[in-house]
Amino acid sequence: MAPKTPPWQDPDAIPLVRIDGVTRHFGDVYAVDDVSLDIYPGELFSLLGPSGCGKSTLLRLLAGFERPDAGRLFIDGVDVTDIPPYARPVNMMFQSYALFPHMSVEQNIAFGLKQDRMARAAIRDRVGEMLTLLKIEQLARRKPDQLSGGQRQRVALARSLAKHPKLLLLDEPLGALDRKLREHTQFELVNLQEQIGTTFVMVTHDQEEAMTMSSRMAVMEAGRIQQIGTPTSVYEYPANRYCAEFIGAANLIEARVIEHADGMVTLKPADWDGELVMAQETPLVAGTQVTVALRPEKVRIGTPPDGAGGRVRGRIEDIAYLGDISIYHVRVPDGPRIQVTQTNLVPRAEQPLTWGDEIDLWWTHRGGVVLLS
Amino acid sequence: MGRRSYWVIAAMIIGYVFLYGPILSLVIYSFNESRLVTVWGGFSTKWYGELLHNEQILSAAWLSVRIAALNASVAVVLGTLAGFALARFRRFRGRGLFTTLITGPLVMPDVIIGLSLLLLFVAMEQAIGWPAGRGMLTITIAHITFSMAYVAVVVQSRVAQLDPSLEEAAMDLGAKPVGVFFAVTLPIIAPALVAGWLLAFTLSLDDLVIASFASGPGATTLPMVVYASVRLGVSPQINALATLIVGVVGFAVLVAGILLARQERLAARSSD
Repeated sequence: MAPKTPPWQDPDAIPLVRIDGVTRHFGDVYAVDDVSLDIYPGELFSLLGPSGCGKSTLLRLLAGFERPDAGRLFIDGVDVTDIPPYARPVNMMFQSYALFPHMSVEQNIAFGLKQDRMARAAIRDRVGEMLTLLKIEQLARRKPDQLSGGQRQRVALARSLAKHPKLLLLDEPLGALDRKLREHTQFELVNLQEQIGTTFVMVTHDQEEAMTMSSRMAVMEAGRIQQIGTPTSVYEYPANRYCAEFIGAANLIEARVIEHADGMVTLKPADWDGELVMAQETPLVAGTQVTVALRPEKVRIGTPPDGAGGRVRGRIEDIAYLGDISIYHVRVPDGPRIQVTQTNLVPRAEQPLTWGDEIDLWWTHRGGVVLLS
Repeated sequence: MGRRSYWVIAAMIIGYVFLYGPILSLVIYSFNESRLVTVWGGFSTKWYGELLHNEQILSAAWLSVRIAALNASVAVVLGTLAGFALARFRRFRGRGLFTTLITGPLVMPDVIIGLSLLLLFVAMEQAIGWPAGRGMLTITIAHITFSMAYVAVVVQSRVAQLDPSLEEAAMDLGAKPVGVFFAVTLPIIAPALVAGWLLAFTLSLDDLVIASFASGPGATTLPMVVYASVRLGVSPQINALATLIVGVVGFAVLVAGILLARQERLAARSSD
């Protein structure tokens, strides 16, 4: 199969969800502040941000539990802003799972179908289909308090998918699972989503989870979207300092523009002598204050070759040995501390670097990103 | 077993004897052969037999049970509404005042509640002609006013523990608000309602003071009969009757306690 153009790059693609200038405030606190966002059919879209950034409110606006103070919401071309939650073609999986404690697993899954007055036989078939899909056939007659955390998560998922919604909302779907189970379930959830093709919108505070699972993600802070993009683009080309620091680790280097020519910008770092030459498409005016975001794994240790994008000398202050990699904290004299990660190719005892060593660091023209805000 | 645990056990025994000793002696003397309440004359169940032929006591007991059941049913409905309002609408104007007012009857002396209701009933009868006279209706209304406060407190604590996303989930799956209440909320809080009903039932069955104020010549509840007959000298029949009441009330309180404890356990388990 030829690689398709992703829908968000295709001007003719019709979004399934259109969030248009939506605002929701509680008193003086703007939980969601003028957010606009398109989500396309078949996506696994993540809303990512720290707690209190408004991601859950945005999800609840889509479900219908909150009404926007301004803006409109469209699902599949229909304006759902004024439609109550029980009439929306949307289902939600709750963070607490919210399984009805007085009903068995079967009854929980059948609940939504009964509300639609579906025929008894059809309900039985659909419940069976869901039990098989999530491999929980043997739990059908149990009550929620007889299930483990992982089993409850599956039942909650089965219940929210039973009505074949156009859009499934997931509020921290893996938040209540322990670490080991979470990693395993991440992949299961992605496979399930590909298998059934339903559009998923997921809220998470865990950037690793968003990175591994999403087709695209929106990074939120204080009710606003800071950046929308694929995990790769958000990681490699963060839009601003906030995104650079929230997704992964980043060294932020303050600098001033000297000149811009031929897709390259020359910068004067604030804290040391020398120049940085970074790849940069959009022109920058000389004298502009910028920040260079440098990922720790893109900084190298050793003698810089000719034509390196940047170089600096510093002293190793700290080494954190994590088994597969080591993190070096290198202090530039009178300047910032730069984090460098290196894969441990040889055993720790054979590595030549130790505390207090003076070392050279360098990176390529494309090793960092120039940020204006 | 250290020295301390003997102390704890001793303290516990003394405490329970203090609480239940009088009741135990009452139960024992209800099986007394002798007509004299304080003299043991051998084991007998004859006072229970005589009790069954005492028309006055039986009709009073029947009246008390009817009042208690009616009171409990109405108090559960009103108390549930109040309990919901207290638990759900967290920020309405005058919430603090409402909370205090609803729990007021829990601490208000019975004499004051009884007297104020009597004055109200008399004034109402003069003003609008209803309730006409005092009897079963006025006693029931009087009992509802204080027992709904107990129901409200029980329901409020249950509703406050309820995970709000349960109701949201039901709505998300297509249930309209009324459907959500009957399909999800009500079944989950049902044990609290049963417990509240039993509590209201026993409160009404036990009440003497408020009933005395609110009753008229035609309506005499069981506690009123007991109190009146004890003043004329204690008949062993009263011991037998009291034993039966202790049995019924004790059973109701036990069931209510078990229901509430089970709910708390379930709530604790489903939230971990």
